[in-house]
Amino acid sequence: MFYRESGQLKSSYIADQAMFPIAQDRWFVIGVLAVAFLVAPFFINEYWANAILLPFLVYALAALGLNILTGYCGQVSLGTGAFMAVGAYASFKLVGFFPELNFLIVLALSGVVTAAVGMIFGLPSLRIKGFYLAVATLAAQFFLVWMFNKVGWFYDYNLTGMITVRPIDFFGIRITGPEATPAAKYLFTLTVVAVLALSAKNIVRGRIGREWMAIRDMDIAAELIGIRPLQAKLSAFAVSSFYVGVAGALYFAVYLGSVEPVEAFDINQSFYVLFIIIIGGLGSVLGAFLGAAFIVLVPILLKNIMVGGMGFDSGMAGHVEILLMGLLIIFFLIVEPHGLARLWQIAKEKLRLWPFPH
Amino acid sequence: MTDEQTNETLLEVDAISLSFGGVHALVDVSFDIRKGEVRSIIGPNGAGKSSMLNVINGFYHPQEGTITYQGQARKQMRPHDAAAGGIARTFQNIALFKGMSTLDNIMTGRNTHMSKSLFWQALRIGPAQREEIENREFVEHVIDFLEIQSIRKTPVGRLPYGLQKRVELGRALAAEPTLLLLDEPMAGMNLEEKEDMSRFILETNDEFGTTIALIEHDMGVVMDISDRVVVLDYGRKIAEGTPEEVRANQDVIDAYLGVSHD
Repeated sequence: MFYRESGQLKSSYIADQAMFPIAQDRWFVIGVLAVAFLVAPFFINEYWANAILLPFLVYALAALGLNILTGYCGQVSLGTGAFMAVGAYASFKLVGFFPELNFLIVLALSGVVTAAVGMIFGLPSLRIKGFYLAVATLAAQFFLVWMFNKVGWFYDYNLTGMITVRPIDFFGIRITGPEATPAAKYLFTLTVVAVLALSAKNIVRGRIGREWMAIRDMDIAAELIGIRPLQAKLSAFAVSSFYVGVAGALYFAVYLGSVEPVEAFDINQSFYVLFIIIIGGLGSVLGAFLGAAFIVLVPILLKNIMVGGMGFDSGMAGHVEILLMGLLIIFFLIVEPHGLARLWQIAKEKLRLWPFPH
Repeated sequence: MTDEQTNETLLEVDAISLSFGGVHALVDVSFDIRKGEVRSIIGPNGAGKSSMLNVINGFYHPQEGTITYQGQARKQMRPHDAAAGGIARTFQNIALFKGMSTLDNIMTGRNTHMSKSLFWQALRIGPAQREEIENREFVEHVIDFLEIQSIRKTPVGRLPYGLQKRVELGRALAAEPTLLLLDEPMAGMNLEEKEDMSRFILETNDEFGTTIALIEHDMGVVMDISDRVVVLDYGRKIAEGTPEEVRANQDVIDAYLGVSHD
């Protein structure tokens, strides 16, 4: 009853091909963006920014990147952590070389560097598929992290082996380091993520997105109707790595401030992002956000309930939390193997009729 | 047969031999396809019909022989070049993109007509938007032609078999092919669906002047809609000609009914 598309008739192809053709969806997205941009910055504090909103946004962006590759183009990757590291180190070195460069340009260039690296590691995808490709991307994971740890040039030969972000101003407002306000960090990250998410939505519903999905669904047929497999797969690796690289740069520069490669970008990071898209929904932009929300927020919620509400000590709560997360993931995958995005879609279908049975 | 039909040759297959290891799929096969005709390729199972189509659109590379398409002789080509040169096809087993809607499947068939870069597509303004709209218009013509308006936004995985075959034809037509290769378009269909499909094939040939190469097992259909027929058996060409000539050919009758080899 509340989610009805009847009566919303389209009289032009532009209207029919709009990003959100159904009015309710459109208003929902505008509403979420309005709250995120106009309301949240006034209430944000250190805890909300660092524990909840920044990790949510950064992981959503990384998951969006991986979803382009795995969900849309069907190429499995276990190298997400390493590609985030490439983005992080690229931004570190770029800021070192060009301190005056606008940080948006630094982010874009970091993404481009990561895209190039991603394409190199994507080359095997022409010959190998599925699990075998996953193993090939595993090579990227171990090699790149090892390289960032071993080659001193990447961390400017400092003694700790860590990289720490320099204070960066974005049009006069400090956005990195301890002096930046939570609101500034949050708004900057939100803007980047929102723009990239809308762009991703545009790409996946255009020619290139259709080519990726064609390769995913039936690669031989795709080739015979004129899609070049190498081009399609490498473009998916490039765009995916661009997103993951920008996410890595934000993760390092805005969210954490300083990182050590073995810890911050190890294989667990790759799995973490992979879990996000599996739980959120493969092949869905919304899924990346729902999955990131689930993976980032539910542990915090569980911890608060256990420590605050039930009086567990925090060590115990940490262990139980991992257990419960595992159970919840299994539960959600059994209920809906296609992820939270599909659950959301089913909920909308139900809402079309509710509260009437027919 | 279209009004535009001439005796001009569109595609000439010359002495093609193809083998996989020790298996000879095609042996010294030669025939031609004239502009604007409906050319059927028939033969018992395993005769090499699908292999022939795969050679024509570059998926298999024959060991011997040449293919001359639109006056250009070549030993082999890549599927992409074949598609860009106007050769489209459908498949024996449905090869639709299951996760996508009917509309997206048919739009994918137009990818060789679209070229705007990633950057414009990400913004989806200006050139990319225009390109998308123009191609959508063409795709809507195809959808109207095939009478599948009502399933435009349905994921193809949910469609019944007959409609999936029709969507697959739509995806091939969206490419505006010069030469359309149809691999058993009527397999597994009931009479009504076969009649619909025959009508679409003939109208495609008639209205757009598309040359059609067809593999089909239903002899009634083949004899009704083909201009010329070529018959393969065990990878060799055993006969060719008009449907009447082929029907009267003793080798063809032997191949289909079986003959004792003693």
